[in-house]
Amino acid sequence: MKTLTEEKLNVVNTSVEKVDGKALVRGKPVFTDDFDIPNTLTVKILRSPYAHAIIKSIDTSNAMIEGVVCILTYKDVPHVIYTRAGQGYPEPSPYDTFVLDKKVRYVGDGVAIIAAETESIAKRSMKLIKVEYEVLPSILDYEHAMDKDAPIIHDELEISGAYDPKRNIAAHYEMEIGNVEEELKQCDYVVDETYYTPNQSHAMMEPHGAISYFDPNGRLTIITSTQVPFHARRIIKRIFGVNSRVIKPRIGGGFGGKQALHVEPYVVAVTLKTGRPAKCIYSREETMTASNTRHAMRFRARAGAMKDGTLRALELWGLSNTGAYGEHALTVFMVGGSKTLPLYNKVKAVKFGGDVVYSNTEPAGAFRGYGAPQGMFPLDSVLDELAHKIGMDPIEFKLKNSIREGETSPIFKIMGEGREGVDQIINSCKIEECAINGSKEFRWYEKRKQPRIDRQRQIAHGYGVAFAMQGSSIPAIDMGSATIKMNDDGTFNLLVGATDLGTGSDTILAQIIAEVLNTTVEKIIVYSSDTDMTPFDKGAYASSTTYVSGNAAKKAAEKMKREILNAASEIMNKPIHTLELDKDGVISEDGATLSFSDLQTKLFYTFNQRQLEVTESFVSEVAPPPYLVSFVEVEIDLNSGKVKVIDFLNYIDCGVPINPVLARGQVEGASAQGIGMALFEDHVMDKSGRLITNDFFTYKIPARGDIGRIQVRFAKSYEPTGPFGAKSVSEIGLDTPGPAIANAIFDAIGIRIRRLPISSETLFFEIRKKGL
Amino acid sequence: MRVKIKINDKDQFIETDPGEMLLETLRKLDYKGVKHACSTASCGACSVQLDGKPVLSCTTFTAAVDGHEVKTIEGFSDENSLSDVQKALIDEGGSQCGFCIPGLVVTTEALLSENPDPTQQEVIDYLKGNLCRCTGYESQTRAILKAAKERRSK
Amino acid sequence: MLDIKEYLKPNTVQSAYEMGQMPNSLYVSGGLMVAQLKISSVERLVDLKGVGLSHIEDHGNAFKIGANAKISDLISNPSLNINGDFIKIALKEIGSTQIRNMATLGGSIAFKLGWSDVITIFMVLNSNLEIYDGKFSEISLETYAKKSMKGAIITAVEVPKTEGIAVFEKFAKSNFDIATLNLGLKIVLDGQIVKDARVVVGSRPMVSQRIKEVEEFLIGKHIKSASKDACDLIEKVIQVGSDIRASTNYRKALSKSLLDKALRRVQL
Repeated sequence: MKTLTEEKLNVVNTSVEKVDGKALVRGKPVFTDDFDIPNTLTVKILRSPYAHAIIKSIDTSNAMIEGVVCILTYKDVPHVIYTRAGQGYPEPSPYDTFVLDKKVRYVGDGVAIIAAETESIAKRSMKLIKVEYEVLPSILDYEHAMDKDAPIIHDELEISGAYDPKRNIAAHYEMEIGNVEEELKQCDYVVDETYYTPNQSHAMMEPHGAISYFDPNGRLTIITSTQVPFHARRIIKRIFGVNSRVIKPRIGGGFGGKQALHVEPYVVAVTLKTGRPAKCIYSREETMTASNTRHAMRFRARAGAMKDGTLRALELWGLSNTGAYGEHALTVFMVGGSKTLPLYNKVKAVKFGGDVVYSNTEPAGAFRGYGAPQGMFPLDSVLDELAHKIGMDPIEFKLKNSIREGETSPIFKIMGEGREGVDQIINSCKIEECAINGSKEFRWYEKRKQPRIDRQRQIAHGYGVAFAMQGSSIPAIDMGSATIKMNDDGTFNLLVGATDLGTGSDTILAQIIAEVLNTTVEKIIVYSSDTDMTPFDKGAYASSTTYVSGNAAKKAAEKMKREILNAASEIMNKPIHTLELDKDGVISEDGATLSFSDLQTKLFYTFNQRQLEVTESFVSEVAPPPYLVSFVEVEIDLNSGKVKVIDFLNYIDCGVPINPVLARGQVEGASAQGIGMALFEDHVMDKSGRLITNDFFTYKIPARGDIGRIQVRFAKSYEPTGPFGAKSVSEIGLDTPGPAIANAIFDAIGIRIRRLPISSETLFFEIRKKGL
Repeated sequence: MRVKIKINDKDQFIETDPGEMLLETLRKLDYKGVKHACSTASCGACSVQLDGKPVLSCTTFTAAVDGHEVKTIEGFSDENSLSDVQKALIDEGGSQCGFCIPGLVVTTEALLSENPDPTQQEVIDYLKGNLCRCTGYESQTRAILKAAKERRSK
Repeated sequence: MLDIKEYLKPNTVQSAYEMGQMPNSLYVSGGLMVAQLKISSVERLVDLKGVGLSHIEDHGNAFKIGANAKISDLISNPSLNINGDFIKIALKEIGSTQIRNMATLGGSIAFKLGWSDVITIFMVLNSNLEIYDGKFSEISLETYAKKSMKGAIITAVEVPKTEGIAVFEKFAKSNFDIATLNLGLKIVLDGQIVKDARVVVGSRPMVSQRIKEVEEFLIGKHIKSASKDACDLIEKVIQVGSDIRASTNYRKALSKSLLDKALRRVQL
């Protein structure tokens, strides 16, 4: 097997400057709201104050004040059912959503679209719309969604793809390998506990927003802050029956929140109605309350092991809250098992399943980790509990039972993206190195010999560890492609559908091309995510851009290399096998050279005239998981219950990091979001179902100084199927903070918290109960 | 109403509504680097310098800025060069999506002019009103300490 | 943008007060609070900055701080070093750099917000307010917090120079967050004996309040030996409520935790 050191790399595995870096640090107008198109209407959405209601009447006559151009209600928009989820087609999410409907299903659901000359006119008009609601009983607690007398949230006739809407079940899944019940009976130790993970807001700094307009030739054009421009175009066509061009500018963070259509249908409805450009930028409150949140989940976890630490059986049985609409309902839930359980592939029996239910709360959707953080919290916690029961060090216990290179898990084949998955043998897995080197650097064993409680200062220190895996792409479904065009100035255009939402994917794709073509990143001019200009790409999700779009880019670059060598062979009149690429040009065995610039100039004007341009596509057969072991030290104030993360060390196997600084940033950022989910970010609703924590004043994402140190170390790893040995890196960091912190709290004070976020109040009263 | 504001060293006479916020005024005048992210004085993305001190333009009345001096991100570098803070943010990976960066740069510049040799804790304290959802802050702290060091050695 | 009709900039306190008496008028000082108002009835903003009132004067036995002084001006003013540099250290706990550059002392008090750190900090210093409501008068901050004084303008805050050491403690979920509970403590010691004590708790979530039972308990006692009982006492006697940030019982427990921290600090 090839290793990193055997491959001579010039550009890949170096931290080149982000290709959009200069524009971003200068504050250039590159985001959706920065585009001013003349004559644009401002669009605002009137939203439901009720969690569940029928619109009995809606009177807009008083609201048509001067400056208001149109007000659209459910009567004025196409009655076409769809899913907002930006997924491959056909989507595994139920079709249960209309642009506007006669029924509203959560506080914040759309009621009317107002388009006006200015924002203040639109706001004034909104207050003058008279809506009469028939308020229906609602489900605010998803644990009661399947109760006998629960109201039916989706009783529309058009719904399709939902499992059992009459019982509010959007999706259901179950699988079992072996017989968990029987195996548990044979175990020396069994832990059986229930764990909760919360809703979480993406809280990307840039709110949702979109602009639509007809270009001079009458083509509907949409500029939108999206992770999925091609899916957006397809879904807009489904709803409105119109063709369009979707342009993704720079994106101010997405984290899965922009893997859905939020704003696009509203502006398109206005542009189609009025012929005028329309812009809608969500307020922070709308972004928090009327887009998507992480699926809250409850899992009963059962795990059984023998005295010697052999893990024998595992079960996760869950309930997931998809909120008012079912986007990503089934697939997020399944990832709770499919990207967690294969980590412990040596069990004799494993079971996973449960229901995803509707409730009258903000719709849940994709969020970095996509179910894996929800699955990993119960899984890693239950194993930690089991290790303590056996009396084994949790690292030794988890390591003893985890997957290794050359092995597989039957789950890979059984569980895929809403359907069957693919068989795969693990070619790269350095989890042992991550755990062993990580524990040395963290000084795990020394630290755990120290006393935990400092009576004088009334604080306690605790140490926790968590293991995680993720995937790289959705195999056999999602495709990415890349086009490379050679220019006569020695540069190349890279045209990709891949969607850089701040991650740096434009940069790492340019690095891959530059590596193959023996040039530098400055010579690769990247244009990404314009559905009329760039080839198709599934979009930015499922940890797939480096792996899928990266492989497509590499394939395209290799083809371009062959085209260049062919052309050079003709021009230089030398056999092709004597030629090689060398710094921005071609060199022959005898030292003759031809620069890229000269080559394409000759092809333009004087020699066998043609444009060198190639397109390649890539669909993966496998989804090689990255692996991560995270170590955390927490400090607990025994007098208040406040938990502070002192040190968070990540040891990761993501294959070869294409750009180490950007890869490190992905892990650091995901850790911070995971710490937010574990300790800070709380969704609080009032009795009517209105989210109270609806802005940055009340919903606290970790601020500077809230987290101690986050560190990232890369294991030496090479994934043979990845571009230059790379696997994914963007999501996995979110999987470990929850369980690692809960484990560390247990280590410090012997209190096991099984519900995130861990509030200082809850912990304080536990501490008091225990008399610490 | 009409106000006079010096923006990035240039005097401007601006017609403004009495309830208009500086953020809206600046964006209308094409200072698009000033970002709108929260409206509740809770994130720092709209930070600009007012008479040399960082303030939140989302909650500053334009009418109140009459006769004062405002500096936005656009005033901290030109087309040909980057400030050392901007360069360090790129090099250390401190700018991912970039949406919080203009506010961060503007605030950091004020920090470094008040305190050219800040400790790590002083960097964190001074910038705690500048939220970032992408980076986990580590790379930004590294970058700012690095830029401060470079600036001192000049 | 606020949908208002007028933004007025008076030059004198008197004219500001008159404008403030017009219907649907609201004073604006730093602007932070007003800009976030979701009240649609306001038609007129009366900007107080034009009236001056931003000086920090040393009057010998007290400081007189103009209500328009920014929090950051107070922090950077070296003469305000009293009670163990309390004002500077405590005010640094507030908001963020940007917020401290915008918020004024008067504006931070006038709204009588429960979570105001400023009210706790200045109440523990026994501060008085200079008020204009047609005529100038003085009122203690403690009384002001309890009293409705609609339409009046805070023109200055008088901070008496007293002996003793003061500390401010704040519990918040995040480093950049309002307090779940805050506490100010000022102690005058004679050796180890507490000669005088002042305890103020804010963000209860109601507006800051003195906890007199604890003050009285501490006075005359040996600080070390009385600390534990004082902490137990505050948890028993404090009047707090619940909101999204904390329950009543948790706030009680936090008052004990913060007083414990504060008592440790004054003994350092």
